[in-house]
Amino acid sequence: MSDFLRSWLVLVVFGGLAVLLVSAFLGLGSLLRPSRDTPQKSINYESGVDPQGDMWAQSNIRYYVFALMFVLFDVEAVFIFPWATRLEVYDVFGLVEMAIFIFILALGLFYAWRKRLLRWV
Amino acid sequence: MLLNQFLLLSAVLFSIGVYGVLARRNGVLVLMSIELILNAVNINLVAFGAFRATVGGEVFALFIIAVAAAEVGVGLAMVLLMYRNRRSIDLTAIDQLRG
Amino acid sequence: MAVDLLTLAFQRPHIDWHGIAPELVLLGVGALITLVDIVFLEKARPITAALAGLGLLATAVPLLTLAADGTDRVMFDGAYVVDEFSLVMKAIFLLSAYVVVLLSTNYVAEGDYWENEYYGLLLASVMGMVMMASARDLVSIFVALELLSIPAYLMVAWRKRDLRSNEAGLKYYLMGVFASAVMLYGMSLLYGVSGSTMLDDIGTAVAAAGSSVPVVTMAIVFIVAGFAFKVSAVPFHTWAPDVYEGAPTPVTAFLAVASKAAGFVALLVLVLVAFPSASDVWEPLVWILAAASMTVGNMVALRQTNVVRLMAYSGIAQTGFMIAPLAVAGHGGGSADQALSAVVTYLAIYAAMNLGAFAVIIVLARKTGSAETTSFAGAFHYAPGLTVAMTIFLFSLAGIPPLGGWFAKFEVFRVLATAGEPWGYVLAAVGAVNSVIALYYYAALARRMWADDAPDGDHAPVPMTPSLASALGICGIVTLAFGVAPQLVARFTDVTLAALGG
Repeated sequence: MSDFLRSWLVLVVFGGLAVLLVSAFLGLGSLLRPSRDTPQKSINYESGVDPQGDMWAQSNIRYYVFALMFVLFDVEAVFIFPWATRLEVYDVFGLVEMAIFIFILALGLFYAWRKRLLRWV
Repeated sequence: MLLNQFLLLSAVLFSIGVYGVLARRNGVLVLMSIELILNAVNINLVAFGAFRATVGGEVFALFIIAVAAAEVGVGLAMVLLMYRNRRSIDLTAIDQLRG
Repeated sequence: MAVDLLTLAFQRPHIDWHGIAPELVLLGVGALITLVDIVFLEKARPITAALAGLGLLATAVPLLTLAADGTDRVMFDGAYVVDEFSLVMKAIFLLSAYVVVLLSTNYVAEGDYWENEYYGLLLASVMGMVMMASARDLVSIFVALELLSIPAYLMVAWRKRDLRSNEAGLKYYLMGVFASAVMLYGMSLLYGVSGSTMLDDIGTAVAAAGSSVPVVTMAIVFIVAGFAFKVSAVPFHTWAPDVYEGAPTPVTAFLAVASKAAGFVALLVLVLVAFPSASDVWEPLVWILAAASMTVGNMVALRQTNVVRLMAYSGIAQTGFMIAPLAVAGHGGGSADQALSAVVTYLAIYAAMNLGAFAVIIVLARKTGSAETTSFAGAFHYAPGLTVAMTIFLFSLAGIPPLGGWFAKFEVFRVLATAGEPWGYVLAAVGAVNSVIALYYYAALARRMWADDAPDGDHAPVPMTPSLASALGICGIVTLAFGVAPQLVARFTDVTLAALGG
């Protein structure tokens, strides 16, 4: 058997042992412990208080706008990082390019501000 | 150099994504499936880029990430609009147009 | 290694400002509209349409100087090329966008839609198309595709409170994003094969690898499928009728003409520059797309009762005609050049006649409030001029001489017949049969407008605005000019791609 296969065999043996041990202990536990289900026991634990409403609660729609704008402006940063790491090499040329890029981004931000999207009403 | 493993991972992700788009009926889940496909593409590009020792793949992946963010922004807005107007994001429920 | 690139000295790229002047003007006007909107808000509404129209005309100025200059310009290491093909396509995009602005002027204002944003997005989308015409690199093709698609998704859903518009937007968005994701997967495989995103390098690598390599075949199939969606070719057409019906009609015209042309541009460039050597993969694929689009589009169009849906299916059939020359473009000996010219000619004529037809539909639907074929009956009695115009556009779409559509179809048949290949003849025969079928439903609609009586006997004249009239005028002149003097006008669309050595 080659070295390659032997090292995989070790992995298989250990993986099998891990599965076996875990299932043995869990199985033993479920055999030994008493099991008396009541509806109260399956309620979600919320700091000891009775849970309110559905777990699929919807968050406020206004979070969406902020989350969206965060994601958009955050992701645009991927174009700024490469420039920032080599700032001095790109010199004035890079600065002007980046100024144009950020101007267009800022246009979007100004738009959101002017249309009152940044305000929490 | 590892390449096949990445390509396999990406092919699996791509297939899961395509399955999700075709089988899911919830607007948001379809969007997430499309994101899976895009991530499969990114894995492919970065793996090929490292394998070929050219940066083209990484640069392409960065562009895909940025554009995908804009795309998802539009998509979520669209799903939201649908929810506002008809209180559901079930894609089977949209059937005003057919012929 | 990738790390070594960081130690290379940075070379300031040479930028050919004249070459990218059209894009810069468009970008400037788009930013200006956004700025005007930010500063003046709703007060800016009356001027944004004019601003967008003037901006598109201003963009045509550097285009003309570039055309007068006439040299092929290669920029950014070959990622961006200005050649005859790209100039003509840019002109088609700008002109159709200008007509769409004319069509939108009253439509958007009357509907109380968000006007400033509408024109800003329209210009962004046009910018994506103009970039697409020059892009010769996977990254720039992808960015151009998304730049033209994302605003279009929003414009389809522009009527926010209308369920049908919402539905059309969501459908278009989901199908579009899925198609571009699949296409991207194909592009990533192409990058893996060639190690470069430049189409030239990919062409070399694909030729070296040979088309029998499965990964190349898979990449080509994915990419062609992605763009087949964009041009709404069967079997990737299912979105088109629903989206066309639900979207605001000017946006429908924009999608049916400009967006479709942009898809064709990318398809042509990819097929002819990146994989000319793998023609045994894409030729059969394109053949099936062409034959299926013509047949299915026409068959389903026969039983449509809504004019916009009818135009959608007729557009699918026209896509079949436009894509057909590509099915014989891989035989060398100038066949690629001929196919290219035929497709560009068809795109130019199709843009004029289809926009014209949509202009008439918009005007008539303003009066009748519906786009059912029955509500178009008897239009001759109250709008004789419009009925004549519509008849011209419909017969041009059907390919009756001496109208533009006839010349477009003639070019396609000429390419198919001179390729000297049995499959080319078969496709030409399929096309000929389909032209006859198409004539039936176009003529049926025209007959209804001429002969039948108006449904409710309402013979009040239709409201006409200067902008709609000039849109109709532009489309009518182009449609007639291509038909009456084809050789004169076809000089402009007989183009070459720089990469083909023309």
